[in-house]
Amino acid sequence: MSDVANDLPQATGRRLEELEKGLFTSDLSVNEFLLIKEVGFHPVGFVMGSSIYHTGIQTRKWGQSLELTKLTEAMYNARELAMTRMEEEASELGADGVVGVRLDVNYYEWGKDAAEFIAFGTAVKAEDGVSRRNKLGKPFTSDLSGQDFWTLLQTGYFPQGLVMGTCVYHIAHRGLGQTLGTTGQNVELPNFTQALYEARELAMTRMQDEATLLDATGIVGVRLEEKSHQWGSHTIEFLSLGTAVTKTANEVTLAKPTTIITLDN
Amino acid sequence: MSESPDDLPEAAERRLAGGAFSSGLSVSDFGACLEMGLEPVGLVQGFCAMHQGAYAMGGTLSRNLSPFGGSGSGYVQNYQCPHGMISNEHRMWGQNYEQTWVQDAWNQGFTSAYDRMLEEATTLGAHGVVGVIDTQMPLGDVGVIEFHLRGTAVKVLDMPAPTSSPWTTYLAGQRLAKVFEAGYVPVSIVATVSSVRVWAYCVTEYLMEGFGGTMWSNATNSSSPIEIDQIVTAHTWSRQRVRSLARTQLRGDALHGAAVQLAQREFQKGDLEIEALLRGNRIRRFKDFDPLPVPQPTVRLS
Repeated sequence: MSDVANDLPQATGRRLEELEKGLFTSDLSVNEFLLIKEVGFHPVGFVMGSSIYHTGIQTRKWGQSLELTKLTEAMYNARELAMTRMEEEASELGADGVVGVRLDVNYYEWGKDAAEFIAFGTAVKAEDGVSRRNKLGKPFTSDLSGQDFWTLLQTGYFPQGLVMGTCVYHIAHRGLGQTLGTTGQNVELPNFTQALYEARELAMTRMQDEATLLDATGIVGVRLEEKSHQWGSHTIEFLSLGTAVTKTANEVTLAKPTTIITLDN
Repeated sequence: MSESPDDLPEAAERRLAGGAFSSGLSVSDFGACLEMGLEPVGLVQGFCAMHQGAYAMGGTLSRNLSPFGGSGSGYVQNYQCPHGMISNEHRMWGQNYEQTWVQDAWNQGFTSAYDRMLEEATTLGAHGVVGVIDTQMPLGDVGVIEFHLRGTAVKVLDMPAPTSSPWTTYLAGQRLAKVFEAGYVPVSIVATVSSVRVWAYCVTEYLMEGFGGTMWSNATNSSSPIEIDQIVTAHTWSRQRVRSLARTQLRGDALHGAAVQLAQREFQKGDLEIEALLRGNRIRRFKDFDPLPVPQPTVRLS
């Protein structure tokens, strides 16, 4: 499947058609819905994208720490595909962006070494008709909740895209000799330190590269996740995720918070 | 790795040289930061994988030997069996002792990771690091712990470039704003650990099994709850110790938002390890307290 809008499954077509008639679906809570309306956006539909990806096998060396580039690529491409399809659905609806994006990985019994990557969120459109799409002409994406979206806009920043970077790393096993050599001692293991350090920095650099492509000023709400998936404890995926933002000409309208004291018991 | 910024991994330098800032702050914390005049410049982090020495003083093998003498100036307390029995099954002595080597390994790992995080912040020309999170995670191999510290490096708007090492704090967002309101500035995070090992002797063993009552303790009737003196002492001691260790790091400053986290592991019956971890923020007064605006009373209608 490529990035032409026509590669979406047929069922999607019918669902989106109904949405275009004015009905909207969203997984926003009532509060989020109200806040999004308050900043001039209207939800147009719940959108998603999915990709079932076969992650190849890569030989690891027992005693060596190194990046498993094949696996990194697989994890990265699969997520990108899911995200792109979600963006396509949003484009179909004429949305300016997607809020509350979540990225999940599912494993099924029927597919060994295969994983389903799924992205979903609520597509929104500006009510004033002015396009808020990002620099690449695509709907902006973000994992911000309605509350966070509202607050971010008050600070004069605007989301550009959910950006991510990943790195699958194999951590070396320690040989018997090395283990015996440090028995009973407090010592730093520089090889381990370097390996883990490097892996996370790579994931974060890749995330920042995505942000640079979007001409972003910064990334907020960065999360670093670590998962071994189904590879055993010595192979770890480091995933870094955040919402790239740009400073707009808008003034900071975030009022100084009022101090309150609740009188509920 | 030494103190020169050159020892950061290549990937870190590439990342920090990038154009966009990254921050681990949530949007509300990000908003609060801007309001305080702090500009996020990047997510910074530091790691250290430490191998922790393991000692098995007082194990079953040495059951019949004399008690462990303690480590250096560390705390050690011996418990002697009052029954005068001599048998392999009867634990004739018990011991509580401070595992100074565990504390040393923890400090070394934490400090190295902390220094590396500061190096990244210095590279970015930051004045401080807010919203620090620290985790300690066991790695695949036995006895290896990975220390990871991360936070968001910030610059104070309209301030000359920093000349000293950046300040650090666990706080971010409105919680940090309130500290400023109260007239304090953050100095550094404080994290200390104390570790006590407990080897039970006969009395503690019986009490742990629930055979208390009049026979082995001072309780007057067998159904009343019993205090297991040796374990209570170890717990009390570990808490006092971690607090006094933290106090030595304050050098006259105040400690804000301190919390002690206690973990107890039982390897075998009566073979315990108690670890107390104290985290807090070292802060210093810079101006008088400005009274806060009077809070608005609210009642929720939902």
